[in-house]
Amino acid sequence: MRRIFASVRDGRGFDIVLVGVPFAFLFALAGLPLIYNILMSFQEVDMFSLGSFIRPFVGIDNYVALFKQPETWPILTNTLIFVVGSIGGQFLIGFGLALFFWTNFPGASWLRGLFLVSWVMPGLVVGAIWNWILSGDFGVLNFFLRESGLITANIFWRSDPSFSLWAVVIANVWLGTSFNMILLSVGLSDIPGDLYEAADMDGANAWQRFWTITLPMMRSTIGAIIALGLIFTLQQFDLFAAITDGGPNNSSNVAQYWAWDLSFRQYDFGRGATISVIMTVFVMFAAAVYVRSTRHEVRG
Amino acid sequence: MTQQIELSGVNKYYGAYHALRDINLSIPKGAFVALVGPSGCGKSTLLRSLAGLETISSGDLVIAGERMNDMPPRKRDLAMVFQSYALYPHMTVEQNLTYSLRIKGVKKAEAKKAADEVAAITGLSDLLHRYPRELSGGQRQRVAMSRAIIRHPKAFLFDEPLSNLDAALRVHMRKEIRALHDRLGATSVYVTHDQVEAMTMADHVVIMRSGVIEQQGRPLDLYDRPANRFVAGFIGSPAMNFIPGKVTRNGREIVLDLPGSHSLAIDLDLPPDHAVLVGIRPEHVRIATQGERGFDVPIAAVEFTGASTFVTTDTMPEIVFVLNERSSLKIGETIRLTFAPENVHVFDAKTEQRLGLKD
Repeated sequence: MRRIFASVRDGRGFDIVLVGVPFAFLFALAGLPLIYNILMSFQEVDMFSLGSFIRPFVGIDNYVALFKQPETWPILTNTLIFVVGSIGGQFLIGFGLALFFWTNFPGASWLRGLFLVSWVMPGLVVGAIWNWILSGDFGVLNFFLRESGLITANIFWRSDPSFSLWAVVIANVWLGTSFNMILLSVGLSDIPGDLYEAADMDGANAWQRFWTITLPMMRSTIGAIIALGLIFTLQQFDLFAAITDGGPNNSSNVAQYWAWDLSFRQYDFGRGATISVIMTVFVMFAAAVYVRSTRHEVRG
Repeated sequence: MTQQIELSGVNKYYGAYHALRDINLSIPKGAFVALVGPSGCGKSTLLRSLAGLETISSGDLVIAGERMNDMPPRKRDLAMVFQSYALYPHMTVEQNLTYSLRIKGVKKAEAKKAADEVAAITGLSDLLHRYPRELSGGQRQRVAMSRAIIRHPKAFLFDEPLSNLDAALRVHMRKEIRALHDRLGATSVYVTHDQVEAMTMADHVVIMRSGVIEQQGRPLDLYDRPANRFVAGFIGSPAMNFIPGKVTRNGREIVLDLPGSHSLAIDLDLPPDHAVLVGIRPEHVRIATQGERGFDVPIAAVEFTGASTFVTTDTMPEIVFVLNERSSLKIGETIRLTFAPENVHVFDAKTEQRLGLKD
């Protein structure tokens, strides 16, 4: 008894306690819900069986039925478009801004900090702002597009099925760009300046320096940011709730929003859980990429 | 001889800070020039200005007959070895070496052949597929040098390349760099704060202070005829002793401000009654023989380095001298020192410039 006590106070036992506390916390708040979610995806869960733990086991029926639904593939396609569009936009604009601020003009760091304002805003607020901007009749975006001659008639961003998904993508790009920019700025500033001087002496012009020094040196940062982007984008819920509600006619519906819709609006918890499990697989893949790229940092 | 690099009237300002003042320097083809001085003297700024990493504010910079003032570094065809080495961490040694060739569009097989040749010279053949992080400091240094050599540039620029190495390796690399320079018939500009490096490696030493070239010339000329007190004190180790004194009426002798105040007959044209500083190198001071005239001084410290003995006197200013034999001198003991007038350097006490500059 005494030995165990001593070990907990100063020894292996102490290490185990240090690891154990966060582990128990994670297990209770993330692990259990995850397991429960997977379990539910193999059960028939509706309003009547929701309260009990032992429910009819249906095997992979939920999965089979889900993929028989006509809206499944369009929604998964929407999810893919949303993820690729959002990450692409956030990354490219974020990288552009990071490079722009990297030139270190007067006030650059101050202005860069200001950009974070968009990131700390709640998704619902961002959604509300973009509702005004995207508004069909009196929206600012339509005004600019019209005045610059790019469009002749107003685009009804939120209610036109061919634009509704893009309305959310635009808002999400705006929301996530600054986070990308900050992480990429950190990556850029980690590259020693003398590498550029050496490359310049070696005859490389600015474009060649970017391709042979900047990009390869940023590999781990870029891997991490894209993996994080995938995770964040698959978590994006507020914007859909605020801007399009998944409509019209599922044209802007994505997996994460659909899972919520199935569970809490249609009370088909089993299918909602099934979609969540499918998404979990993708997120775990992204998490693996993230862990890998942060571990393989190339630093001289 | 053709001038490979020529600087005339070069100035460099950082805002109001005058970093380089009216620099005039000619570097002939094949020369090994050392820029030396204390930190902040502008030697690195001067090197970076040659490289194009800094732009000069005024004056002319001509490399191989072409005015290069506004030319970007990549068009100057100079190779630089950085203090930090600045190896590309994401490339193997071979990729580091061939980077400049690949940028130029040299064919892969040709670049590889060039890398193999250079690696054979610098002893990197077995390391070509390693990454910089897998190399020791000395090996990284070689990679940095090889990366410069492979290009056959108009000139090599070295920015304190040995300062990150340990003492033994530094002495070794000193010889190796000089040997490489001779073998390649290169033109080299070498920045260092270590006067021994400058003296041992260079054909031409440029001593800088506060953005000004204090003196330049062949190493031994600087040692034998320093133009001012700064150069005299900077070159040579242990440093030169400076003793205040005053020229006598007739301008033929100097009365030293030391106990026993006897005068020193000097064969120079000195202004009478002038306050001067007399410089004498530690290796030129010796203990007087029986009955010889000199200065009686007490000893403050005796240091043995093995081959020689450094003795410091308990005087104001203190005098350091070197004995080339084991010595039984004791601290507190009084000895009589003397030195030959022809070994004396005389500087103006106010301007600190060399006086009586005649051959």
